Formats: sequence, C-alpha cells, structure tokens
Amino acid sequence: MTRPDTRSRRQLALMLAPYLVGLVALVLLPAVVTLALAFTEYDLLRPPTWVGLDNFTALVDDPVFRVSLTNSLVFGLVAVPLRVLLALGLALLLHRRALGVGSARSAAVLPTAVPEIAYGLLWLWLLNPLYGPINQLLRTGGENGLTALGRTPPQWLTDPTDARAAIILMSLFTMGETFVVLLAARRALPRDVYEMAALEDATGWDVFRRITLPLMAPVLALLAVRDLIQSLHFSFVPAFVVTDGGPPPYATTYLSLFVYRNAFEYLRYGYAAAVTLVMILLTVAAVLVQWRLVRRYRAFYGV
Amino acid sequence: MSEPGLVLDGVSAAYRSSTVLHEVDLAVRRGELLVVLGPSGAGKSTVLRVVAGLEPVTTGRVLIAGRDVTGDRPGRRNVSMVFQSYALFPHLSVAENIAFGLEVRDTPRAVARERARVAAESVGCAALLDRRPGQLSGGERQRVALARALVREPDVFLLDEPLSNLDLALRVEMRAELRALHDRVGATVVHVTHDQTEALVLADRIAVLRDGRIEQVGTPDEIWRAPASSFVARFVGSPAMNLLPADGPVRPAGNPPPGAPVTETGRLDLGFRPEAVTVAGADAEGTPATVDRVDVVGEDAYAYLRLAGGEPVVARVPAARRPDRGAAVRIAVRWADVHVFHAGSGRRYSP
Amino acid sequence: MRPKALLALLLSAVLLTTGCGSGSGSSADGPVRLLVFGAPEELAAYRTLIEAYEKARPGADVQLVEASDRKDLLARLATSVAGGAPPDLFLMNYRFYGQFAAKDVVEPLDDRIAASDAVDPADYYPVAMDAFKWNGKQLCLPQNVSSLAVYYNRTLFQKYGVPEPKPGWTWNDLVGTATAMTRDARGVVVKATESEGAALRPAVHGLGVEPSIIRLAPFVWSNGGEIVDDPARPTRLTLDTPAAREALKNLVDLRLAYGVVPTDEEVEAEDDESRFANGRLAMLMSSRRSTTTFRSITDFEWDVAPLPVYKEQVGVLHSDAYCMTRGAKRKDAAWRFLEFAIAEEGQRIIAATGRTVPSHVAVSQSPAFLGPAQPPRSAKVFLDAIPTVRALPTVSTWPEIEDVTYGILENAMHRGDRLDDVIRDLDQQTRPLFARGEHG
Repeated sequence: MTRPDTRSRRQLALMLAPYLVGLVALVLLPAVVTLALAFTEYDLLRPPTWVGLDNFTALVDDPVFRVSLTNSLVFGLVAVPLRVLLALGLALLLHRRALGVGSARSAAVLPTAVPEIAYGLLWLWLLNPLYGPINQLLRTGGENGLTALGRTPPQWLTDPTDARAAIILMSLFTMGETFVVLLAARRALPRDVYEMAALEDATGWDVFRRITLPLMAPVLALLAVRDLIQSLHFSFVPAFVVTDGGPPPYATTYLSLFVYRNAFEYLRYGYAAAVTLVMILLTVAAVLVQWRLVRRYRAFYGV
Repeated sequence: MSEPGLVLDGVSAAYRSSTVLHEVDLAVRRGELLVVLGPSGAGKSTVLRVVAGLEPVTTGRVLIAGRDVTGDRPGRRNVSMVFQSYALFPHLSVAENIAFGLEVRDTPRAVARERARVAAESVGCAALLDRRPGQLSGGERQRVALARALVREPDVFLLDEPLSNLDLALRVEMRAELRALHDRVGATVVHVTHDQTEALVLADRIAVLRDGRIEQVGTPDEIWRAPASSFVARFVGSPAMNLLPADGPVRPAGNPPPGAPVTETGRLDLGFRPEAVTVAGADAEGTPATVDRVDVVGEDAYAYLRLAGGEPVVARVPAARRPDRGAAVRIAVRWADVHVFHAGSGRRYSP
Repeated sequence: MRPKALLALLLSAVLLTTGCGSGSGSSADGPVRLLVFGAPEELAAYRTLIEAYEKARPGADVQLVEASDRKDLLARLATSVAGGAPPDLFLMNYRFYGQFAAKDVVEPLDDRIAASDAVDPADYYPVAMDAFKWNGKQLCLPQNVSSLAVYYNRTLFQKYGVPEPKPGWTWNDLVGTATAMTRDARGVVVKATESEGAALRPAVHGLGVEPSIIRLAPFVWSNGGEIVDDPARPTRLTLDTPAAREALKNLVDLRLAYGVVPTDEEVEAEDDESRFANGRLAMLMSSRRSTTTFRSITDFEWDVAPLPVYKEQVGVLHSDAYCMTRGAKRKDAAWRFLEFAIAEEGQRIIAATGRTVPSHVAVSQSPAFLGPAQPPRSAKVFLDAIPTVRALPTVSTWPEIEDVTYGILENAMHRGDRLDDVIRDLDQQTRPLFARGEHG
C-alpha cells in the first residue's frame, strides 16, 4: 500500500468517526441491550432476571400480541400500496411546469411536515363522528343524520373496520417523502423516451403502463419496502392519539402501541423487548427483500 | 416539383420567447434523402421536431405526403424518428423496442414480432432481438433505433444526428449502410447533421441552415461548386475556404467573371479553396507569404500562410513538396477557382 | 375521552434518554419534585398548595412536574426510576400504586409518621389510610377520599318537573329518572334505542356512566355480590354470580334497553363531562374529581346525589395519596412538604379548590369543605358515603386488568355483546393478569 493511500484511508476513518460513534452509542448498543432484555423479565424498577425463552412462549399464547401483529401486517399491506399509489399519482400529476404546480407540490408535502401528535389531534377533530367535518360533509343532502344515500356515515372511532380505515386514511396524507422521491424520479426519466412514445401515438394509459410504470418500478419497489418498514412505526401515533388502540378490544392496537403499553404502562419491559425483537426480525426480512429487488434490478438492466 | 413528400411552408418556431426558425420554406421530394446541415444552434433539430409535431409552429404550415398536419399530434403524422440518443426503452428487449409502435397501435402481437424481426434483419441486428439496450454497444443501439424507425413504414423518416455518437470508423461504415438502406427502401428521409462530410456523402440534396434561416438548398455538387453564400462556402469543406477582400493582396490570374467590379473598394470578397492555391518559391510570380505552420495529412499537407498584410491563407500542397515553417513563398490562384461574394450580405455575386 | 396532551410521548422519550444517563436530574440541593397529572383546574390546585407551602416555609422549594394523564404519569415514573432519577414525591391513586409498591419503589413512611408532630394517623379516614398499606406498612399518605356520586343538572330537572334524586333512591329510581330526563330538542321524552331503524338522537341524555369495572363494582357490592374471589389475594373476577350478573345486566341495559346513556359514537364526539357541562346530560356518575371542572359552569345550577342502592348503600373508594420514592434525593425536604400537604392547613387549602374530599376528618367536616359558597350544595353527600365505601383490590397488575375489562365492558354496553360471553371473557382474559400480579 502506498503512502497517499494510507493517508486517505485515515482521513476517511476520521470523517466517519463521529457517525460511527453515534451509530454505536445511540443505535447499536441500545439495540443489543434490547435484544438481551428480550430474554429477561424486567419491570424497569428491579434488576432484570434471566428467563430464557419465556417471553417468546408467552408471546405465542398472547391473543393481544397476535391481534397486534395481524393489525400491523394488514395495515402495512393496505396502507403502503395506497400511500405509494397516491404519491405516484400526485408525482405524475405535478411533475410538469404549470400554473399552481409549485403550490400544489408544497400542499402535498405539507402534512408530512406537521408534528405527528398535532397531526393526530387534528384528525381526532376531523373524524369526530357527530361534529367532525368529514361526517358533516358525508351527511350533506341526507336526513336524520344519514348520508344522501340513506346510509349511516362511517363510525370512525367506534367501529373496528371504520377505525382501521380511519388510521389508514390518516396515514395516506403523510406520504410527502415518497412523493418527493417519486417526483424526482419522474423528472429524471429521459424526455426523448416520452417523445418517442408520442411519435408512436401511445396514449396516456399506454405511456403509463408501458413506459412510466416499468421505468419507475425499481424506485417504486424500494419505496414500498421502505414504507413497509416505516409502517411499523408510523402506525403508532395515530393509534395512540386518535383511537387509543380501540375500538375495543384491540381494533387498532399495532405492534408499536403494544410495545409502548407493555413497556411503559404495564412495566413489562422484557416482554416488550421480545416484541421489539420480532419487529426487528420483520424489518430484517423486509430489508432482505429490498436487497433482492436491487440485485434483480441490476441484473435486469445490466448496470 | 413532383410528389412532395414533405413541405415546410413559411414555418417559424420559437423556444420560450426567442425565435429559432424564421419562415423556413423547404420541400422534400418523395423518396428523397435531404440532409439538413448547419452548425450547433442553427435550428436543425427544431426543423425535425416541428415536422414531428414535438414543437408547435408559430406561423406557417407543415405538409406530409400532401396532408396538412400542422395541427395534428405527433402520433397522427405518420413519421418515424431516430433520436441522437436513440431513445430506446431500457426496460424492453430489442424485439419489444422495435415492435413498440406496432403494439401500441394494436397490431396483433405475433404480427408485430414478425415485422420487428424483418426490420431487424434489414439493418443487421436480428441476432440482438432478445437483448436489452443496456447490453448493446453504440453501433448496435443505432441499428436498433433504425429498425424501430423502419418497422412501421412511415411517410417520412426523421434522423437527428444518428451517427454523432459513434466513433469515426463506425460512423463511416454506418454512413454507407444508411445510404444503401435508403436506396433500397426509397423512403423520404430528413437527416440532420453538423458534419459536412456526412452531408456530402449521404445527401440527395442538402439544406444549409444558419441561425434559423435556410441559407441554400441544393445537391452536394451545387453546394460544393456554387455555394450561395460565403457562409455556405466556408462551412462546407475542410479546412474552410479562404476569403479575402477583392481589392486585397491576392490578384487571381486569368479573366475575371464578366462585369465584376473587382477593384471597387470593400464591395466584394474573393473565396478560394485551399486546393486552388498554388505555392511556389520566393522567386516565383504571385503574392508573397510566409509559412506559419504545416499540417501533414498523409499524402497531403496543409500550409497555413500569412500574407504581408497579416491575412491568413490556407493552401493544400503535396506532402512531399511542402514548404518549411517560416519559409517565404509566393502564392497564386486562378479566376476559374475563385468564388465572388458580396462583402456585406455574403451572397454570391452574380453578374 | 382522551385529551391526550402532545407532551405524553415527547416527554416520555426525553425522560428515557435523560433518565438513562447519570442521575444528575435531582441533586441533593435541588427542589423537591412532585409528579402529578390532572385537568388544568386540578393542576392549578396543586400550584396553589405549593405556593402556600413556600410562603409558609421560606427557603423551601417544590417543583410541580405535570404529566398529561394517568398513563403518562405511570410511564414517566417507571422510566425515571429505571434511569435513577425519580421524582421525590408523586401523587397516585391506590388502584395503580400497587405495581410500584410491590416492586419496592415506594419509601415506607411509618417511622416518619411516628416521629411527626403534624401527622397523626387517627385524624384521617381509616378506609383511605388502609388502602395505602402494603404488607402492613404505610407506604403513602392519602390526600383525599371520595366515592362515586351522581352529579345532576338541577336547572334541567326543574325545567322538566322531574323529582331530583335523593338519598336512598334505588337503581329502579335511577332508571326511571334517567328515562324521564332523556329528551329531544322539543323537550319530549324519547327512547334512544336502535330497535326501530335509525336511533333517535336525544338533545338531552338522562345519564352518563362509563362501562368500567370501577363504576360497576359498587352496584355489585350493593346487590350483595363480589367482584373478585378474595379481596386480599384475588385470583379471578367473580361477575358470574347472580348478584353481580344482575348489576352488570342493569348497567348495560341503560344503553341497550333504555337508551338513556349516550352511544359510543356520541361519547367519542363529546365526552360525558363536556356533555354535562354543556347542559346536555341530566346526570353523570363520577367521582369528586369532576367538581373542579364543573365549578366553571355558569349556565345552570348543579348538585350531587349519592349513588342509588340495590340492597344496601355501598360506595367505591377513590383516593389519591402522596408517595415518596425510595430513590428520592431529598427525602427530608420531601417529607416536610408531604406533612404540610397532608396536615390540616394543606388539606384546607386544597379543599378550597374543590378538587378533593379531604382525607383529614376534621377538615372534611369544616366549612372549608362543606361551606355553601360554591357548588355542590350537598357536599355532605360525599362525606355520608365514606362509611359505606369499599376499596378495590390492590394488585400490581390492576392497570392491565382495568384496560382489559374496559374494552370488554364497552363492547357489552355499546355493541350489545351477549352477557354470558362478556362474563366469560372478563374471567378468562383477566385470570392470567391476576396470576401475574403481586399483592400487598
């Protein structure tokens, strides 16, 4: 190895050091501690005691955990495609220069910038079954508190299905980051390919199906996986602030809320750590899928 | 003109607020290969894009095969285009790329694939049908782009500098193939390039474009032998034609064209190509000059000379008899090899 | 229902991070930190108390640490204990202190009480004192003692000419009164059940009561039943006895059969306390806690009545106490404040704010509490109930038991789950929680 090589390596290490220190101290160590606590009984108040796999056997038998896991997975599988589709639709709508496009883009990103809890409280008002603007709107034209179609408006906070829908609805509008990435991805697509398509008289749907979608597919897939991982976390605040995990018994209790309750309300920190470990495993699985996607993408395009 | 394949009738086009085409009139015969030649920024590509419908016209009409297509969208004009970047769809195989135009027009899949294969064969890329653009070389991509243009039998082919991304050897080879292909297919082609050699070799006729205006339209011979302006004269040919004031130091031998007031101050310029200049020793007849530099290109050499008044002149000499750098020489040209231009407008002087 | 303040999350996160560092949060010469939660009116009451204390003892320094709600308080207490920087004092209901008592986080106060001139255990209601004994030790000192009461809107009762509730009234009287008070916008009595098509929406509901185990318990007791098999060492809920079953059925029938309580949708839209304060609820079953909020009502006159009776008058204990953490840095200073708050003077101050029924017998019978200056006029209802109150079992997993049972009971009342299923679910789902619990 030559001298400048050593030097540039040393510089590189030096520049990486602050990040690495932060990573180890703030992420890796707590993660390892959590992993270890998953095999203990720990109530935050007394020292942890080793219980081996007891927490995990308890998890298997815990109906609330099963419900939370199912809720989290269903939320991810429904909310993530909808979020990505909404972001894609907006990105395709707003990628051109036109009057008002700038404001529209800002508006699309804005909900993402609202602090999460404030956003939750806002929706608590929006979703108020009797006085909230959403149901007021749905009731216009109807009589006796029914919609114009003669049906009862959704019971956002008291019906299990409607409440899950409400949480998904809430989550749709915070796809600002996904939108920004897709907007950039769309704008990075070569213009001449679209002109080519125009010359071949490909219409809007054909252009979308045969060109835009396949060209953006790799980005979409990566964003979807990322969103899926994120969905384990961003389901927390809505459930915590808006539905409190209900309607009863556990319609909107997601893994994150389950962890919070067990760790901080019921003081079962070890048990909560075991659930966290399950969440980490889910995340790892998603990341593996992401890797495979990237590898296939590379092989496909011969990059 | 019989059977016009493509007519531009007083077409202007603008990008943002600046006009890039000024009332261009151009007619391309059916089956003709017209090369649009000009320097960067002359508006060559805009001509193609206006024909294709990718840019709107501000005035004038575009007619393709006798139809007024000025208001039609690109897909309705029945033109094919080869982009400088080729614009291949990276996610589609070569076969799918070629068949794209057919498939979006609802041609049955099997038929489309068969025609794609035929088109690929005609440009010699039939072996690549299952590959993807990312796996192809520059020349191969170029062939695929051509095949894609060919597959649909359009009224006009538009080629936007299709050879500019290739290395020289490949460019020469593809140039010949392109010409052969045109002769075989007999389609109406508008080919844009900034390369004058390419234009001279390929074209049935050349349209020279300068700053959004047509400078001259003619066969390669006409462009070469009778450039309509000093701009055309200097743009076509390398090194460029020498241009000196008519009352300057160089006095051509022989009879001047009839009626040319050659001595009148500043009214006319004389143009002559490097190969028209004879270089002799310092003791011969002619205008004295010194040799600044000599470039040897195989059998030929180009001598960059400077006249007494500082005017530069380029002369082609046999490499074997080239003068030394710094040598004092005499140069001479004959009126027969001289083009006369109006100094102000640059237009060719005609008595 | 959940005015879950923004701070809940943020602060627990902050506590987690800071708590995990060194315990520098409260050094020995800092202020005494008191962790409480409550409505703005309640927090104001504690600030008044602290101001009075600091005025009475120059140099004393007490800092109020405000949690947004009960769950936030539990989370913050647990994380700060884990982080080694707990508050010196915290205020907690006896239903929830069990998990901290069982885990040895609370400092026993017997020695300090014995040495104190200001605090004499005999001055306090025994039922409240006993609720905070764990394995024979006095862990915390109660500041208040309360039972459930029925708040009612006198103005509305007079407007509709319905007799006001009076001591000794029965459950049937309650149902009749609530039915008579459930009115539509024109003031006509309506029945708001969903039996025939769309439910009518009354303008005024007869009664607000939340379907929770702590609201159910006094009626089970009053009917001669029990809610757990062994109050000292409970292992299961015993709501399957005929007496308990009847009380439960009657509770859910308030919604299902009579439609006198608001639907879950209406409760989500406007919680019972707001509904009462807005004059659209004739009666509300609640503890003393609501009084502070209701004192800001100006549109109508309200009062309290005792709980209705099945067989005998029984109330359910509501009591909060000051507890000292074992890890407190300033125990002596904290005790001095605790003494002040618990003794006569402090109790007088906090009683004046309306927040509590004083646990100090003398203060509770003085004009500071019974004085007619502010509603409720019949404040004595709270005192009369004290001899009848019973405490809920203290078991360390009680918070979980309340959460689980609340979900089941809410569905029983609002979704109309079959009573047999409800009782079975209540039993099955709480058994493991009782099994995991630790007792005092």
